[in-house]
Amino acid sequence: MRKRKSTIEIPEGNVITMRNVHKSYEQGTPALNGISLDIQQGEFVFIVGDSGSGKSTLIRLLLRELTPTEGDINVLGYDLTSIRHSRIPKFRRNLGVVFQDFRLLEDRNVYDNVAFAQRVVLESTRNIRKNVPEILATVGLADKYKNTPAQLSGGEQQRVALARALVNRPLILLADEPTGNLDPTNSWEIMKLLEKVNEGGTTVVVVTHNQDIVDKMQKRVITMKRGEIESDEDEAGYMEPVPYMDPMEEPEYDDQSFGETAEIEASFEEAVYVEGGYLDED
Amino acid sequence: MRISSLFYALGQGIKNLLRNRVFALASIATITTCLFVFGLFFSVLVNFRHIVQTVEEGVSITVFFEPGTDEETMLQRKVEIEERPEVNKVEYISAEQAWETFKVDYLGEYAEGFTENPLEDSANLEIYLSDVSKQAELVSFIEAMEETREVNYSTVTADTLTGANRIIAYVSVGFIALLFAVSVFLISNTISTGIAVRKEEINIMKYVGATDFFVRAPFVIEGLLIGVIGSVIPIVIIYFIYNKVLEYVMSRFPTLSSIITFLPVTTVFQQLVPLLLILGVGIGFIGSFISVRKHLRV
Repeated sequence: MRKRKSTIEIPEGNVITMRNVHKSYEQGTPALNGISLDIQQGEFVFIVGDSGSGKSTLIRLLLRELTPTEGDINVLGYDLTSIRHSRIPKFRRNLGVVFQDFRLLEDRNVYDNVAFAQRVVLESTRNIRKNVPEILATVGLADKYKNTPAQLSGGEQQRVALARALVNRPLILLADEPTGNLDPTNSWEIMKLLEKVNEGGTTVVVVTHNQDIVDKMQKRVITMKRGEIESDEDEAGYMEPVPYMDPMEEPEYDDQSFGETAEIEASFEEAVYVEGGYLDED
Repeated sequence: MRISSLFYALGQGIKNLLRNRVFALASIATITTCLFVFGLFFSVLVNFRHIVQTVEEGVSITVFFEPGTDEETMLQRKVEIEERPEVNKVEYISAEQAWETFKVDYLGEYAEGFTENPLEDSANLEIYLSDVSKQAELVSFIEAMEETREVNYSTVTADTLTGANRIIAYVSVGFIALLFAVSVFLISNTISTGIAVRKEEINIMKYVGATDFFVRAPFVIEGLLIGVIGSVIPIVIIYFIYNKVLEYVMSRFPTLSSIITFLPVTTVFQQLVPLLLILGVGIGFIGSFISVRKHLRV
């Protein structure tokens, strides 16, 4: 595989920077055709488009599940074109991901599904016992922690998936059609939760084809068509970058796995940490 | 890695094992079968080797010296021969001893008539080899010594035994290679099936930022457990079968037991137990390691 250092300049405050990104699969037309994109710290961005427009490919590139055929991608200071395989886990710990099909582990209860994400990043059992109930309360599932996914409604399952994505306190939340399998009421609840997450300072990128929700939310909308960006509109007007606030508690970035995060933190000088949590009910 | 994650991996490994009982049992059965066949083969092999060795030890070369060679020189030659690596032991038979043996073996009471030792010049060295295939080499070494009058040896016995040893070596290497290939193939297949079931879990782990090591650990532990169980079962079975077979052979063919001796089960197991454990654990480890590998590239 080709590995080269990226030479692109990253605008201040950017958490996601794409420059002239092409992606073609082995056969067929290219999925992405020269995408350039800037997403700033604290933004809430919708990516819309018909199926086959390349929005899922975009998400998978941001996760470093795929590598671009051409062009540069930089996420949170990580050059995703040249990142070593062994550094990918460290990079991904800064991201939270939610999928259309929830992707919960059916053989485990709600608590274990969320705790799973913390175990993977080697969080101590003591912290897991504290963090998991907190985040479950945040998504409104505190009383269902013993249920298995099969015993939950679609909306509840997606909230578990969201809790799992958030429990490691990601800097960026990527959601790939998070409401694709939900009815309008549940969809709207999920979107409200995502908005709360965003208000706490987490950058949120939502891929969707639910035009109704996009219209209601009044956020920046990137429309894709045949692998290209057709339009990039900011319906609410560009917001000032929101400082990152820890969703749960005092930050503890002494852990070396958060070393990279701390660097990025440092670039947001006005960062304010609020005690309690950004998702707590007022 | 933290201790808690080690316990986590261990716990997950055991949970996986219990959760995928069918798959685990299939894998254990596969390893058990392969190692059982291997163990049986090994038991037969070591006994065969043992028999060949016993025969080998009986093969001797006798060296007679020129008349007038004094005992001191002969003993010196004995030391020289003993130092050679293919030599097991050398016995010095003095003329008197040779005469005594001859008297007892062939003359009995007629020996009374002899006043002098008629075998005066028949002091000799009896050489027992540890490696029969080197017999020719040794013979030419001895023949080159100036005091040597005659060397008695049998090439037929030596050649037969060397041939037998070679056949044992070829057959065992071939058989072990075959069994190993078969078991690795079967096990990586069964473990792959088990992992395909948990592809989702591995995917989620990778998305959340698990290291390859962390993803792999529970599966490798699972593989190791399967390997250990899959090697302990054949060990126990072979232990009982071995004793039963020995008892049967001894009672059914009593004449056989007077000619050849079989190794006791404890002697065989000194090598067999560690061998089977290493093979079982190795197969489990390699099988699971390889199978997870291809799922890690997410």
